[in-house]
Formats: sequence, C-alpha cells, structure tokens
Amino acid sequence: MTTPNPSKNPLRSGLIEDRTGDACAVVIFGASGDLTRRKLMPALYNLAVGRALPGGFAVVGVARREKSHDAFRSEMKDGVGQFSRRKPIDPAVWGDFERGISYVRGSFEDPQTYADLKGHLDQLDVERGTRGNRLFYLAVPPSEFDTIAGGLREAKLVRAKEADGAWTRVVFEKPFGEDLASCRALNETIASVFDESQVYRIDHYLGKETVQNLLVFRFANSLFEPIWNRQHVDHVQITVAEDIGIEGRGKFYEQTGVTRDVVQNHLMQLLSLVAMEPPISLAADAVRDEKVKVLRSLRPMERSQVPMNVIRGQYGRGFVRAEELPGYREEPDVAPDSKVETYVAMRMHVDNWRWSGVPFFVRAGKRMARRVTEIAVQFNKVPHTLFRAPDGGITPNVLALRIQPDEGIQLRFTSKEPGQQTILRDVAMDFRYGTSFGSNTPEAYERLLLDAMRGEATLFTRRDEVEQQWQYIDRVFDAWKHEASAPPPTYASGSWGPDQADDLIARDGRRWRKP
Amino acid sequence: MTGPMAPLPKGAASAVIADVERQLRELWVEPDNAGDAPRSRVCTMNLVVMTSSHELAEKYVPVVDEVTRSIPSRAIVVELLPDSKESALTADVSAVCSLEGGKDVCSERIRLAAHGVICDRVGSAVEALLVPELPTALVWLGRVHVEDPIFVNLASEAQRLVLDTEYTSVQSLMQVARWAREEPGRPFVADLAWTRLAPWQEMCARFFDEPRLREHAMHVTSIAIHQASEAGARLGSEGALLLGWFATRLGWKAVHVAGSLRFMRPDGGTVHVELATVSRPPGVAPLALARVAVTAEFGGVVARGTLERELASGLSIAPPPMGEPLPQAPVITVTKRDSEHRTSEPPSQGNLRRATTIDADMLVWRLDVDMPTATEQRVRLGANRGARLLERTLHRPPNDPTLNESVAFAEQLLEDGLVCK
Repeated sequence: MTTPNPSKNPLRSGLIEDRTGDACAVVIFGASGDLTRRKLMPALYNLAVGRALPGGFAVVGVARREKSHDAFRSEMKDGVGQFSRRKPIDPAVWGDFERGISYVRGSFEDPQTYADLKGHLDQLDVERGTRGNRLFYLAVPPSEFDTIAGGLREAKLVRAKEADGAWTRVVFEKPFGEDLASCRALNETIASVFDESQVYRIDHYLGKETVQNLLVFRFANSLFEPIWNRQHVDHVQITVAEDIGIEGRGKFYEQTGVTRDVVQNHLMQLLSLVAMEPPISLAADAVRDEKVKVLRSLRPMERSQVPMNVIRGQYGRGFVRAEELPGYREEPDVAPDSKVETYVAMRMHVDNWRWSGVPFFVRAGKRMARRVTEIAVQFNKVPHTLFRAPDGGITPNVLALRIQPDEGIQLRFTSKEPGQQTILRDVAMDFRYGTSFGSNTPEAYERLLLDAMRGEATLFTRRDEVEQQWQYIDRVFDAWKHEASAPPPTYASGSWGPDQADDLIARDGRRWRKP
Repeated sequence: MTGPMAPLPKGAASAVIADVERQLRELWVEPDNAGDAPRSRVCTMNLVVMTSSHELAEKYVPVVDEVTRSIPSRAIVVELLPDSKESALTADVSAVCSLEGGKDVCSERIRLAAHGVICDRVGSAVEALLVPELPTALVWLGRVHVEDPIFVNLASEAQRLVLDTEYTSVQSLMQVARWAREEPGRPFVADLAWTRLAPWQEMCARFFDEPRLREHAMHVTSIAIHQASEAGARLGSEGALLLGWFATRLGWKAVHVAGSLRFMRPDGGTVHVELATVSRPPGVAPLALARVAVTAEFGGVVARGTLERELASGLSIAPPPMGEPLPQAPVITVTKRDSEHRTSEPPSQGNLRRATTIDADMLVWRLDVDMPTATEQRVRLGANRGARLLERTLHRPPNDPTLNESVAFAEQLLEDGLVCK
C-alpha cells in the first residue's frame, strides 16, 4: 500500500494513464489566423477526445476582427472538422469543448484589450475553474511580441513564477529572429516580461513521434550506442527535402530563404539530437544541456571556408510528379533577380571526443525530387574484402531514421544471393511506425500543447540553444554578404539540388543518398 | 466429464502443426498474378487468446482482427473444450490485412480448436507456433485455476497475461496475481475490467488536482458507488476494484459497523460507504459502474465530486448513403491460401456500417466546492468496445503494482458478500 502524500494528489500515485493538463485558460493571440484553425484548435479538440484536457479548461481567442463568441466557435468547429485527425466530430465531446471557447476582440496596441482580457479571464476562473493558470500562445509574427508582452505586463496578466500556486506560461513559434542580433533582441523582449522557465519555444519537429523516438532508439537499445562514434561512423547525412515550392509565400520567402526557414531550427535540432551525449535524465534542462553542448562544439566557419563547405541553390523550372513547374524567380512576389536560396547543403563538424573527424552533411531544399526528412548514419566500410564484390566494393551499412513521411527506421546491410556463386546484394531491414503501431498517432501540436499545460519543457527549445544556432548560421550569412553578388546556382525542380552540392560531398569521396 | 475419451492417433497433432506451418509459409509467397497488390507481413508480438467455447472464440475473432490492425501480431485463437468426448485438434490459418499507405499490411491469424484429451497438449502446440524473439501476450477468457496445467503451460510462455474479471472473478485474478509473483520470469498480469476503470480513476483523481483540495483527498467523508443492476445484486468487479483503488491510494481500512461497511481513514476519521443500483438499460453490461460520488471536508470547505455515466448514451453516427465512402471504417480483409486457391473475404457493407458506431457512453464530471457554479466536464468513455479495450490493455506498461494492491483490497470486500441496495 502506498503512503499518501498530501503535497501531491494521492489519487495520482501509480495512475498509469496520467497525461492530463493542469487546469488553465489557453489564450491565443492571433486567433483569426490559419495556425489557430488548422493546428491549435484541432489539437486541443483531439486532446478533449482523448480525455487529456483538465476539468477546468477554457480557450480564449484574441484578435482584431469584430466577432461574437458564437461566430468564433463556428469558425473553429469548421477548422476542427477539416483538420482534426479524429473525424467525424463527436457532437457530445464538441458540445462540452465548445462551451469553453470564447473570443475577445481588440487591437494588440490598445491597453483596453488587455483590461478586457483580464476581466474575462477572472470570470473564467470562477465559471470554468481555470484557477488563475494562463497559457498565452502568440500565434502572431514576432514583430508583435513586444507589444503583446508589454500589454500583458501592464495589465498584470503575468504572474511571477508559480505565484500563489498559479502559473503563467508563454508559447511561441519560429522564426526566433532573423539573425543572432534580432534573436537576442527578441529574447530580451520576452525576458523583460517572462522568466525563462515560463517560456516555451515551439519547434514542432520536436513534437513528432519519430524525433522523440530518436532518444529512445539511441538510449534504450544497447546495440547502437557503442558504435555511435568516430570509430565506427563514416559520416552522417541529414536531409529535409520538400517537393513543394513556396506555395504563394513569395514575400515571406524573399525575406527568409531555406537556411533561416529550416536549417537554423529544425535541421540543427535534429543534428543535436543525433550527436548529443546521453543526458543524466529526461528532465528538460538535462536534455537541453546536452543539446547545447553539441551546438557549442560545432566547428565555426571562417568567412573564407564558407564557399568550400556551404552550397546554395535556387530552383528553376522542372518536373515534380510529372507536372511541369515554374522556377523560383517566376513565382508571384519574387524578384526576377532574386538571390534568395531555396536549397542549401553544408558540411559541418562536431569537434568533440565522440565525433572528431566525422563530417555531418546536411541539406534542405524546396521543389526537390521527393518530400523526405531523414537522418542517415553511414558506417565504415569493412576493412578487408573477402568476397568478390560488385564494382565499388561492398556497400557500407547505413542506418536511416525516417522522420517523414513513412516514419520508421531502415538498416541496410549486405547479403548473399541464393545460389552456387557468392553474389552479394544490398538488402534492408525495414521498420515502419505506421504499420507496426497504426497510423493514428498524436500530432506534434497535441503533444506540445499538453506538455506546455503540464509544465514539461523537454521538447521546447531554450534560449541558449536558439542563440547558439544563430551564432553558427550567422557566420554563413556574413560570408554570403561578402561574396560577389552572383545568384545562387540553379537546380531543376524535381532534382536533388545543384551539381555543386554533389561536388561538395564528392570531394570527401562520398555521395548524397537519394532517399 | 461425460464418458471415456478417445485418444488422438500418434502423430496426428504434429501433422496439424506442420500443416499450419505450411499454410503460413504459403500465405507469403509472391502473388500469382502480377496485378495483385503487394502485401507486407508485420509482426510485433504473439497474441494468444484462450477461450472456453466455440461461441466465445467466434465472438472474439473480429476483436482480434481489429486489434492486429494497430498491433500487428501472430494471433492464435484457441478453443479449449476438454470435456468433449472426441479427441481432435483442428486448425485454420488466415492473413488479416488492412490497407495502410496503399499497401496491404497483414497479420497472421491461426485458429486452433482442441477437443478432449489433446487439450492437455495445447500448450505445446501453441509454443510450436509462436514467432520466436517476440513478446507473447496471453488473453485468458473464462475461468482460470492456477493449478490447471494447461493454464500453467501457456502462461509460462507469456510475458503478459490478460484476464477479464467479467468472465472470471476478482478472487481468480488475485490467485493469478499471486501465482505470477511467486517466481521471477512469470508474466505480468492485467485485467480488462481494470482497463475499463482507467477513465473513472483519471476523472476521480481530478477532484483533488487543485492544490487547495489536496488535503481534502485525505479527508473524504463519504463515497457512493452505483452500479447498473437490480437492487440486491452483489457488488460487481468494477465497483469493487474502484473501491479498492480509492482505499489503497488514500490509506483506508475496511471496518464493519452494525452490519454496514465503512472505511477508517489514517487520521481516524470515518468514510461512509453507499452502495446502490440504478436500472440497467439494454446494451449495458450487468454490474457496470454507473456513478461515483465523493464528499470531502477540510478547513471548513466541503468539496463534492460526482462522476456519472450516461448509460446507453453511446453515439450512433448515421451512416452515409450507400455507395459513399465510410469514415474511418476498419477495412479488414481476410485471406486464406491453400495449395489450390486464394480467397479474399472483404467485410460486408453491413459490418462496415456498424463499424461507424461509437459505442462508448458519456461520463459527466462535476466538482462542487465553494464557487457560485460547479465545474463540469463531459468526456466520452473510450474503451468500451472489446477491441479498443484489449488494444489499450496491451499498450499499457506491463507492470502495474496499483492493480495488485487494489485487487487484494477488493477481494477482502467481496469476501464479505457486499450487495448494492
């Protein structure tokens, strides 16, 4: 029999399905935007279906447009109907969930908005039992953060850490600035209002099951960790490839480029999870400390080294899935002489004991041959060839961790073909998440929102991680600024990137995978 | 036992096993026709289901087929009929496939029927058919005795043993749990009734989540359990297990005062117990839990939490018109292959249409403290259907000490023959 401990809820002791959020009001700034309708509200509804929302719960949308509570609920229902993985909508569950949805209209610059919000939240504490706990979700561009954070502070909507047992947390998404300086400025703005322990920066890649499985795969299996180092690994490739173009987001992309959009955040997070040392626990700071160590170990590139280690590209015309598609410069809102990169490939080095001498080749691009995100660990070749091998010798073993689509793990190895002769052939052992565990797994936002409600920050990026990522990438931007103003090389839509990227890896005697 | 049993001819059982192995191999040979869709065999565990009648096996086969969609397995459904005069072992092999990402992803389903004396050797037959290196879960539907060699043989091969106190009893569950603890390497024990209770436990725990109500958990003054049955019925296993769970979490001891049950709290206070019934609508399992009410008082503040199942409120979604696609219908095809032919049995439209019914009831959670309005939440009980329940049980961590503690307490209550008024 367990000894009851009244400082904790004794009925939660030993409870297996214990993944419920704390009672709280989730306040979404920018509630009229696509993110709310497509991702946030469907994720919250899915949590309601799974009984993961607490008894005291409310969602408050805040935006500029005039709208009634009912109109907002109706819009949200439409979004949930379209984008939830749990279809069709369960009327009884929706009915209960909907009663907790409300809307506050107001300009983010107007102090009255925050006064109205405060009054409304106080009322919800009484009517919905939200207990003074607030999760502010900033689904707005970073340029609005300063205004909103200031408004919240002035209206006394931000409580000090865990004051009176009630908490305040803030969640926001990338871009976390556009370079190190702007990132630091943004972090200062947030830090002027919130303690870092109250800040939850979402990189939605970290909410994906397969990314979380990286830690399980590495640290719950004794087979791979002993060979996860320079003695056995030849090199690592990380690919984040999309087959779509900029999809009408010309203005955004002209200011961003693939390096800011994908490499500085998702790709570097994947790299740090692959390369990190075992953390002492799964506590948020234990994991994030190890990730930061990897980011700090990245070998900085001098300006002169950038052209040899980083290749840019821009997609031209070509065919994807047999459809002829225009080049980047022909897209709406894109300058005809744009130099913005839609592809980047980099050779990176993690200068530490484990990875010394092992290159990490990373690439990200738009309009590539296929949509795929994967991490491929290529092991060393066998030291001596016993068998009559095909041209090029025996292919090294590759362990590919597929993040999307067809999430899973594949191990390539060499086998003998049946017959009198010893003929070698590559075969693959293939584990797929979808087929082994079913495809109805929680979406990244469900996991991340629930974690934020529970105060579990492991899957959120910390300030020093983000700043360290920018510090590395800033050197690349600096070199590009000083390069001759030639446009990036063009690659055909539907290809795997420019020829120069092939040269980058070929110089090391390796080649890109075609996953 | 109704008369002398005829022995099975020597070698007959092993011939059946050899035939099963042959059929399994033949299931996975390349398709005869180039146009046939490719099929992937996936297997993450062995799922052995032991039933005590043909009817129960028939009832459970669709449950197993649905479970293997999310937990691809080699499923072995066994009918065990030891009292049969004839001695026989028969088998049937199928691939159970569902479409995932344009590919048929398939599990294997073996049905074994053992009649008469061969039942003693069914453990050996099942062992021969297990996929090596994969975990084995044994689902035992029916009465269980830990001295039964058939049970011991099969359970010793498993890492997880799933019972259902709806078919057996809390006492049997207790015996099995004791047996499992006697030696290392024996399986972890799970109970489907315990899984059914999980949402009730979670929602009851919410009564005391608020920091200011934590102390209230240690000052419960009364608990009421209502079950769906006729007045005077014995307390069902769900109610008994839930009481056991409350008592072991909160340190209560059972006492009997003037013929009625009460609990003594660690601080010496008394918890009044009310066991009552509500009428059972059609479709609701006998003795199913219907309502829980907890009252606690501390520091002059009274907190009342109630949890009420809206019995038979399970939602039926109107099916779309014939010819239109069905939402999330479990499209399962069963394929057999023997030396002559391959057959596919797509499910009937009627079955698919029934599959769109969500049959879990709503649960209304209500907490009344000292606010002008009580906090209320409505959730759907998620795990009532057989397949979902088994799936959730198999997805839970295998070792659950809380179950053992609660079962021990519940057994003590049931020994007293508690009835609900």
